[in-house]
Amino acid sequence: MVEILKVTNVSKHFGGLTAVNGVSLSINEGETVGLMGPNGAGKTTLVNMICGSLSVDSGKVEFMGKDITRLPPWKRCKLGICRTYQIPRPFPELTTLASVVVSALYGKDRPNRSFEDAMTEATHYLEFVGLFSKRNVLARDLTLFEMRGLELARALATEPKLIFVDEVMAGLNPVEAEKAVRLIERAKDQFGVTVLWIEHVMAVLMKAAERVIVLHYGEKIAEGRPQEVANNPMVIESYLGKS
Amino acid sequence: MELEVKRDRLVFRVGGGKWEWGIEPRYWRNPLIYVGILIVVPVVVYFVYPPLLSTVIDANLLAAIAIPLALMTIGTGRMNFGPQFYIGIGGYAAALLSIHFGLNPGLTLLAAPLAGLLFGFIMSPLSIIAGGLYYSLLTLLFPLLFLEVTFIFSDLFKGDTGLSGIAPLVSVGSFRLNLLIYAFISLAIMLIYLFIVDKVLRSRYAVQMAAINDDEEVANSIGVNVNKVKVISFTVAAGMISVIGWFYAHYYGAFSGQTYLPLSFMLKVFMVTMIGGRMQIYGCIVGGYFIAFLEMILIRTTGDMSPVLFPVILLILLLVLPEGLFGLYRKRHYREYLPTLHVRR
Amino acid sequence: MLVAIETTLIYTFLLGSLYLLVSLGFSLICGVLRIFHLGYAYIFTATIYFTWMFMSLFHWGLVPSIAAMLVIQAGIAIAIYKGLIVRYIKQEEILILGLLFVAIILEQGALRFYPIQTGIYLETTVVPGLSKIGHVTVSNQLIFAAILGIVVTGLFVLFFLKTKLGLAVRAISYDIYSARLMGIQVERVFMFIMVLVLIPVILATLAIAPIWAVEPSMGWGYMIIAILVSVLGGLGNIKGTIIASYIIGFCHSVVGFVIAQPQFMGLSALIVVLIMLIVRPQGIAKSETVW
Repeated sequence: MVEILKVTNVSKHFGGLTAVNGVSLSINEGETVGLMGPNGAGKTTLVNMICGSLSVDSGKVEFMGKDITRLPPWKRCKLGICRTYQIPRPFPELTTLASVVVSALYGKDRPNRSFEDAMTEATHYLEFVGLFSKRNVLARDLTLFEMRGLELARALATEPKLIFVDEVMAGLNPVEAEKAVRLIERAKDQFGVTVLWIEHVMAVLMKAAERVIVLHYGEKIAEGRPQEVANNPMVIESYLGKS
Repeated sequence: MELEVKRDRLVFRVGGGKWEWGIEPRYWRNPLIYVGILIVVPVVVYFVYPPLLSTVIDANLLAAIAIPLALMTIGTGRMNFGPQFYIGIGGYAAALLSIHFGLNPGLTLLAAPLAGLLFGFIMSPLSIIAGGLYYSLLTLLFPLLFLEVTFIFSDLFKGDTGLSGIAPLVSVGSFRLNLLIYAFISLAIMLIYLFIVDKVLRSRYAVQMAAINDDEEVANSIGVNVNKVKVISFTVAAGMISVIGWFYAHYYGAFSGQTYLPLSFMLKVFMVTMIGGRMQIYGCIVGGYFIAFLEMILIRTTGDMSPVLFPVILLILLLVLPEGLFGLYRKRHYREYLPTLHVRR
Repeated sequence: MLVAIETTLIYTFLLGSLYLLVSLGFSLICGVLRIFHLGYAYIFTATIYFTWMFMSLFHWGLVPSIAAMLVIQAGIAIAIYKGLIVRYIKQEEILILGLLFVAIILEQGALRFYPIQTGIYLETTVVPGLSKIGHVTVSNQLIFAAILGIVVTGLFVLFFLKTKLGLAVRAISYDIYSARLMGIQVERVFMFIMVLVLIPVILATLAIAPIWAVEPSMGWGYMIIAILVSVLGGLGNIKGTIIASYIIGFCHSVVGFVIAQPQFMGLSALIVVLIMLIVRPQGIAKSETVW
């Protein structure tokens, strides 16, 4: 198993608040890893640091053996890291197609690809998430589920090796949630991406993830197979409080 | 560099990149008609009432300033409130080189945009570090401070009166014929700018800019090099605007910062973009002609009250027509700007 | 050497206090109304030229002319607020352009009716003569203007900290929606602020009119200073504006009087502000609120 992401002892402080405190993790190619933790545990901060939106106060991030701790976000994207957002952030004034075209064009350096070629590619991704019929609709006019799909298509269009999926389930009804899970599984199969899945809903991770990491107050408190983690007393306490 | 001509498009391959230009003659009809009108206008004016040619030249030049300004605004995502700074740069560069080194207009044509590109490049980081409102304020200040500098070094810049004795661009003997040639040159510059900016705004670079304008952080995380886009848009637009300064210098034979750097000129340029429907590049042409002819009519009818009345009318226009004249037209005849994919049967 | 230090200290104090008067209004409007009142320059021009108009046209004395000018200025400020700001607060480009147009119209009007050759002179000298402080000779009127600046700023600070209306203004600058929910009549407070900021500017203009040049385009120079001070001090924050005024005053006094190259004053201030923006983009102040 090839290790593609290695995070060593990263920390992030905001003034007096320590959001992430010395977290280390590693992800191997082809895995689906879950990242869990109560609200405020630092999951999104950690992901922001790995993707480059936030700078790392201390520690190291290595991707495919390369130290990316100081790289700007767009360079990390070209290397193969991408993410979706918890609250969808589409490009409101662009159509669905145009949004995906941007990432198709700029997410990966590929020679001999013109604007029109990128449009054709973008349609493949739109079709994958089921948004082909909405390709000319402005991104802000989509429903929540469609926006999540657009986020996924946009991320996939950058041809990532590692993709961070941030709380896909939030706000979806059970039918849509089921569709979303299957969509991500199909993405893994079809595009061969490694997925780091941030999620609250235990049930999803039980089925989908091979390994789960749990954060609490910015520190890693548990790591292992979903069954083990679910029964870990510290994890239960972090979610339910001391009894 | 390879060029491939297919049935419905041109394909350019340079290095590792590939660009496609669609050839769709059915979309050429309208632009050709308008360009035709624009070419015919100076000829007609030449025979009917030659002094109006200077207004036509002004109109073309105003449009030629507004078009790169639109590119700069869209590319950096901020409003630059001091585009006339680069007119000053281009104009003074051309004037100084012409007077002190005797360079002919052809050579200053190389120097002026170079100066513009250089200063544009130096100032472009402002679009990265300064947020929207701060950026607008500082860009507002730069031309005014440039004006102060021209007064400080008044032996070089000749302060209020400005530099004179600049070699004229055209000199074929007849004053009227000179004007006509100037009119065509100004029209050519404007049309070239229109073509360049239009192509850019329909290309992959435009989607990039649109993404940046919508959400910079997200654009950054999907692989768009935001800083590079901003710097390039700013610098290229600055270079384009400074060419207009070059033209002013050689056309009038004199150049004074007092005419172009203060806010009154900036407001004229902005009204051109506003009348043109807020940064729509075809609208800039409409706006340019409208403003130039309005100013001319006011000066002829009200004489010395015109510096007061002109801003009053512009203010009224601004408040009454926020969409601009061209914007009204656009609302009735909507066109798509970003290409959409049509499934071919 | 001693002379240089004395000159620097004295002029930093004098210029800084004066710039406080000039910039306070601009900064307040930024902080409370959250707009850039780029037409601010008109207030300087209007002060001088409306007063002169009453004096030369109707042959009124100085004091009645000033009173009439105040009334007109208040009217203009309210008209600008109702006509432009209220309607276009969401569309900032139109708002800024509109405000600039107002300033240009007034400047051109003044230029047309009272060209520079008219030789306007307002006898607003309160303290005539010169004084010698240490080795430096300064105009008494300038000292008066500086003290006026400090007094007015002090009054403003007291107003914002101690009075109910001042509290309302601060609340609006923190969070306008919550302020509305608390029952503060935001539009009325805005109108009050628009008229309030006229006072320091009018006082400053009248005070320095006898000693510094008066011409229709004088407003822009002062507005540039107001902009630089506001950007440096953090838009809308009075503490930051105070500190920034003295920093710019220091800069100007060193460049203008110690190094004795007054032409570079504007440029040097801009460079200082630019450096500040690179190092700390939000300005000196810690927050974008009034206090």
